Order: sequence, then C-alpha cells, then structure tokens
Amino acid sequence: MKSSKTLCALATGATLFLAACATVPPGPPPDVVRLQSDLDRLHSDPRIANNAGPELANADAAVDVLARNARVLDARAYTQGVYIADKLVGIAEATALARYAEQRGSELGIEREHLLARSDSHTTTIVTTTQAPTAVVRSDITPPAPVVRETIRDDGVVVVPRERAELVAMQRQMPGVESRLDARGLIVHLDNYSFEPGRAELTPTAEQSLDGVARVLATDGDAGITVEALGADGLATARAAAVRDYLDARGVDGARIASRTVGYREGLARNDRRVDIVIQGDYR
Amino acid sequence: MASRRFLPSGFLILAALAVSGAAAAVDRDTAQLELTQAVTAVQTAERDDAARYAPADLDEAHSMLGSAQRAADGRSWDDTALFAERAKVAGDLASARSRQHRAESATAEIERSVDSLRHEIGGAP
Repeated sequence: MKSSKTLCALATGATLFLAACATVPPGPPPDVVRLQSDLDRLHSDPRIANNAGPELANADAAVDVLARNARVLDARAYTQGVYIADKLVGIAEATALARYAEQRGSELGIEREHLLARSDSHTTTIVTTTQAPTAVVRSDITPPAPVVRETIRDDGVVVVPRERAELVAMQRQMPGVESRLDARGLIVHLDNYSFEPGRAELTPTAEQSLDGVARVLATDGDAGITVEALGADGLATARAAAVRDYLDARGVDGARIASRTVGYREGLARNDRRVDIVIQGDYR
Repeated sequence: MASRRFLPSGFLILAALAVSGAAAAVDRDTAQLELTQAVTAVQTAERDDAARYAPADLDEAHSMLGSAQRAADGRSWDDTALFAERAKVAGDLASARSRQHRAESATAEIERSVDSLRHEIGGAP
C-alpha cells in the first residue's frame, strides 16, 4: 500500500514536471528576443557599427548575460535585467549616432571652409613648410596678399619668416578645425552653427574643434590669443567668454586670452554671429 | 568576453546573486553608492540640456531617482539599489539622446549652409 502511494506520488510529480516543461516555450523569452533583434539592427547599421564604442559592447554583454540566465533569474532580477539592457541598447544607439553626426558635421565644416575660400577666390595651398629660420610656402593659385610680409621668388615659391611658419605648423596640427592665415595671424573660425541658436552654449562639434585648438595652444605658451565675437551685444560677449572659458578649462591659461566684441562692418550679414580666435606668434 | 568589464557592476552583481540562488540583500553602503551614482547621472543629464532634447528620458530618470530616495528613506536598501541603478541608466540615456539631438541639429544647419554655398558657386557666371 505504501509503495503504491509512493509510485502514485512519483507518477504525479513526473506528470506535473512534464506538463511544466511543455508549457515553457523553447528559446529565450520575448523580451530577450526583442533586445537581440535591436542589437542586430545596431550592428547592421554602418553609422552605428562604425562609431560603436564601449557603449555597444556594454549592451552586447548585458543582453548576453540576460539571454544565458533568463530562465533561472527570479522575476525581480529578470525585470531589472531587461530594464537595464533596454537602456544600454538605447545609449549605444544614441551615442554612436551622435558620434556619426559630429564627424559628419566636422567634415561638412571643412567643406564649407573650402567653398567659402573658393567663393572668395582666396585659395592658397600650402605644400611645404617650416625650415628654420625660414619656411617655404607654395601658392598654387595666387600669391598671398602683400600684408602678410612674405617674399615671392621667381619660381612662385613664397618665403615666409620663421614665426609665420610656426603658425602654419600650428594650423597643420589642428585637423578638422576651420582656420586660415591672414595678416593678423592664424584665425580659427567658429561660425553661427558653433553655438546653440540664440545662445552662448557651444555645440559638440564646436567643442571638438576647440579641443584640437586647446591641445596646440596648451603646448605653445608664447602665442598671443584674442577671441573676437562678431556683434557688439550681450550675446557676442557671452559667446566670446564661453570660448575663452572652454579653452581655459582645457589647459590654456585664461590670462593669455583676450576677448572682445567686434561691431558689424560693411559686407557682413547682420545675422553673422561668428567668433574668431586670433592666434599671433612672435610675428607681428 | 573582454567587453564584459564595461557592464554596470550592479547588474552583474544582481544577476550573479539571483543565479546562485543567494538572497539579493544589498547593504546600506552599496545602496548609498548606487544612489550617489544615480544622482550624478541625473545631474549630468540636466547639464546636458536633456530637459530640452530628451525630456521623456529625463522624466523617467527623475521618477526612478525619486523611488530610490523614498526607498532609502524607508531603509529598504534592496529597493534603493534597484531604483538607483535604473535612474542611473535612464539618466545616461537622457544624456546620450541629448548629445545625439544637439549633434544632429548642428550638422543639419551646417549641411544647409554647405548646400547654399554649393548653389551660389554653381550658379555663379
């Protein structure tokens, strides 16, 4: 009697176990499948895959942990895991797309500078430089304006003073930064789009440019720096201060940086709210 | 596998405890640390102008942070850690989406400017 009861209990247990197994669908839970599908989408998007940093690795790892342990996690841990993994996937996507946009913005900024140069017929290509005490700059299209104090040889090569060549070298250390050389020195150009509309807050693209400028200026303690904001009003003053403060925070001594606003001149659009950073070597 | 080092520690700990069957008891110090990190993440999102560019994500982060702080007031450290961890990732997401929005807006403006210049140069006699 006792053994038949035991057998019955075992049979019941086995039946319940089999029934439980039958009700559990094979494979990962739907939440995990959705997250895996989201990750597949991110990996197949070149804008994201090519700009993925640790954020995508985070998301991959979180979904992986969740997929492998989903069936043994208690409800609280599982829900938490899904929540965290979901956010990490979102962070990976947004961060990669931000990087993509910033990179594209930087490339477009360079293209715009080239287009502006073409439209002004001021294109000068620098092909060789910095051999102290003089540097050699070749003008492929037109010689530079005479105010820059170069001398032009018969073969079209322009010889510039060493200090001027230092600015050329400095310019070359700022890839992706819109800049030009003129009589005042090396001019780094931050246009309207470097700031949030109507505000003094720098855009991420502008911050990226200023990071490159700061790296160069922080290692050259002699260069004079003036931040010039176009438009003599509070916005111009605030934008000049924002640029100065940003450089100061990135290792360029704020005491070296003068700032001023510049009123509108003839030929300038009233909505042109650019800020220029004028970098002067010993060359004056 | 190497990428796993980037995982938020809280999630790994929670998952490991649950998998091993141990009680997921969080002590006060751990919960306070999670809470501090969550506060920092939410403040960072606010500085990143998430209220303007990612308001829904920032609201969610605030909501989770509020739940974490209430749990801490009630000395429920498990819940404090759980909600704080949520607030942290929600704050991080708000920051990331804010950065994305700002970058895309700035790039769109530059693109319009470049298109306009191309048109001017192309249309010049």
